[in-house]
Amino acid sequence: MGATQNPQQAQKTAERLGAAPKRAAPQRRSDEPSFQELFHAWLESHRASLVDSLRRLARQPVGSFFTCLVIAIALALPMGLALLLNNLERLGGSWQSAAQISVYLKLDASDADGERLREEIAGMPDVAAAEWISREQALAQFQAQSGLGQALKDLPENPLPGSVLVTPREIDKVALEMIRQRLAELPKVDQVQLDLLWVERLGAILKLGDRFVFGLALLLVLALLLVIGNTIRLHIENRRSEIEVIKLVGGTDGYVRRPFLYMGALYGLGAGLLAWAVLAYSLDWLNGAVVRLAGLYGSDFALAGVPTADGLSLVLGAVLLGYIGAWLAVARHLSELAPK
Amino acid sequence: MIRFEQVGKRYPNGHVGLHELSFRVRRGEFLFVTGHSGAGKSTLLRLLLAMERPTSGKLLLAGQDLAQITTAQIPFLRRQIGVVFQNHQLLFDRSVFDNVALPLQILGLPKAEIAKRVGAALERVSLADKAEQYPADLSTGQQQRVGIARAVVHRPALLLADEPTGNLDPRLAAEIMGVFEDINRLGTTVLIASHDLALIARMRHRMLTLQRGRLIGDGEAA
Repeated sequence: MGATQNPQQAQKTAERLGAAPKRAAPQRRSDEPSFQELFHAWLESHRASLVDSLRRLARQPVGSFFTCLVIAIALALPMGLALLLNNLERLGGSWQSAAQISVYLKLDASDADGERLREEIAGMPDVAAAEWISREQALAQFQAQSGLGQALKDLPENPLPGSVLVTPREIDKVALEMIRQRLAELPKVDQVQLDLLWVERLGAILKLGDRFVFGLALLLVLALLLVIGNTIRLHIENRRSEIEVIKLVGGTDGYVRRPFLYMGALYGLGAGLLAWAVLAYSLDWLNGAVVRLAGLYGSDFALAGVPTADGLSLVLGAVLLGYIGAWLAVARHLSELAPK
Repeated sequence: MIRFEQVGKRYPNGHVGLHELSFRVRRGEFLFVTGHSGAGKSTLLRLLLAMERPTSGKLLLAGQDLAQITTAQIPFLRRQIGVVFQNHQLLFDRSVFDNVALPLQILGLPKAEIAKRVGAALERVSLADKAEQYPADLSTGQQQRVGIARAVVHRPALLLADEPTGNLDPRLAAEIMGVFEDINRLGTTVLIASHDLALIARMRHRMLTLQRGRLIGDGEAA
């Protein structure tokens, strides 16, 4: 966005137009600005562009707010979905860690056999915990949960086997299969049940969700660039005569472009902050219902809010999108703004 | 300083703006370009400002061929030229000071330097007390003087003016011409496109006369 003239180029042009040529070892005249002064002037010029852009946005507060809101909604949608997916993955992860292997013993296995087997299994390196459930405990649980209490009491003998409930350290399909095989080879073991199909299904759904969010984000980024580009185009149209004058008095494309880039970045900043606020509020609002639902399933699961790092990335991304959108819009229309 | 060698300008629709125009302007000269509407006065100024390029011939401005100039070089060329328009082309949402300061801001000069030069330029056009006002608060003559201050504030080597007195009464027009002469006396080459022959005659400077894009007269106004 350099608008200041290259000093060598300026001198060359000035000399051609009649200015006195510089000597081989030029002495700086006392009234010529120093490098430091020129640097301050360059900074001042950027500050002026930023302040001017802010003033122009503040002059139309309602219009500026709604533009920011449109951009914020477009930003919040994929970001919100991504956050919900993250929460689902977290929930899936906690279910995964709760995945257990049921080792059913033969009916003739005694409680002592079961307890011995539990100790052996608990000593395995890839097993986090093992719990012995006797035939009597299994029947009592089944009676309580099935509602068939009287019918089960009428049975001549307990049909349920004793079992060891095994919690593995890691949920890995191959590793779990190996544990299952090892458990099946143990004495007195009748059957080993490992059901991870639902975990796989959940994983596949989450992967699909990730792709959907990525695709949606791409489409919305494109839409955002169009929204910002169109907004900046309107600003350019409103300042057409000013741009023509600036170009006539020697303003470079960079000088003309600068305030619009600041404006695009400011739209992005406003939209990013607004999107962050919308997301934080929406997740908080949803969380009440989620906590109640999770409580009904005996879980203490709660939605995580917007992490600060994600929020900052959202704002930074929005600023960048605003900047790029403005740059594309100015690049597209600058050539049409030749002075007349 | 300016050299037109067989310069022609033909537009895509077939209209010919200038026919093989040839003349030279020395550094520090004061000259008028005159002719009826459509004679080619504005085309000539547009070529000098690199707003258009000649379609034939050679147009040299301080040795630089304007037919060959790159788009990136154009702003730097224009920084050495001051331009005054008939309709002033002022920015009405900026104060007089900010309007005049614009070329200096583009040059990236420090604030103090800008204030000094703008003050001097406004002093030269007798508008030092109007710096904080807005163009809409000024009379047409004062607006034109703001335009002149903006055109000379960056000390250009060449000052171009397109019908600068077109909207002014004779007294104001003479006053504005007086300002141009003052600027010329400081060494700036001044080229004014005007069809006000009476005013031109009073000033006794060199005059180029155009008719339908051809140069039909080159001499002192009488």
